[in-house]
Amino acid sequence: MPADARGLADLDRLIHEPARLALTAILNVVDSADFLYLQRETGLTKGNLSSHLAKLEEAGYVAIEKTYRGRIPLTLVHLTDKGAAAYKAYRARFKEFLSRA
Amino acid sequence: MIDIKKLEKRTVQSFFDDGLTEIAAGLMFLILGGYFILQLSTAGSTAGSIVSSVFLIVFFVSFFLVNRLLRFFKRHVSYPRTGYVAFKKKEASPKRRVATAVVAGIISAALVILFRISPSVKLLFPAVNGLLFAFAALLLAHRVGVTRFYVLSAASAAIGVGLAAAGIGDLKGLGFFYLLFGAVILFAGLAALIVYLGRNPRPAPDAQGGPDAR
Repeated sequence: MPADARGLADLDRLIHEPARLALTAILNVVDSADFLYLQRETGLTKGNLSSHLAKLEEAGYVAIEKTYRGRIPLTLVHLTDKGAAAYKAYRARFKEFLSRA
Repeated sequence: MIDIKKLEKRTVQSFFDDGLTEIAAGLMFLILGGYFILQLSTAGSTAGSIVSSVFLIVFFVSFFLVNRLLRFFKRHVSYPRTGYVAFKKKEASPKRRVATAVVAGIISAALVILFRISPSVKLLFPAVNGLLFAFAALLLAHRVGVTRFYVLSAASAAIGVGLAAAGIGDLKGLGFFYLLFGAVILFAGLAALIVYLGRNPRPAPDAQGGPDAR
């Protein structure tokens, strides 16, 4: 495998997927955000957003807290330390890959 | 391909979509402007000395109340429409704190020296304030990419320099500056809020909770 392609293959596939990349990029800027905010900012459907968040949660990249605001259910999401480190590493690798390409 | 930088910037911008921050800042400026005018109109009297001595109380109490108001409206107007988001609180680095203190010290020292040389320099107070707030608004506009902050920056410079050029200096000029600039910020915030409310109707309650289907 050529060195350039190897660089791309080394990227964290979990974050590299566009919807999850958008989610981690947003969560990297904020402290926490609720489901509605993430849905609006990413343009994902409820089902898609749930599925991507579940994958990120499974990997320990995000933490999901279910709570209530008054009587309205509220789902708060935030990037974990592991997720923040993975996102930072992804960005660095991708930047490096682009500079070599 | 996702433009990560654009997405991150857009996320920060979203905080200002509803115009509530400007409404709060506008109210704060109006209170300060009113305070300076009151201070001027009561100068020389017992009431005047009382008014002069309570500046810090007025400042902190209004800051606290305006902040509470901002949180209240964010909770009841913005979050139900576009979702809840809490931004990271960035602690200023020691280098940045020192740089800010040095710049503030230089500006204050320059003003004191200028005032000693020529007391009429007081007439420039509105211009100095106008240019300082213009610079701050410009930095914010550049950082978050919200176009209306460039307009606010220009407005601040124009009002400050205009008042100084008109010879309305000192406390009166300062009072007018805060009142006028406060009104401009408030108006900008209200306009942004109207647009925001038009674009983001309140969704049905079940749309806010999130992935209960998870």
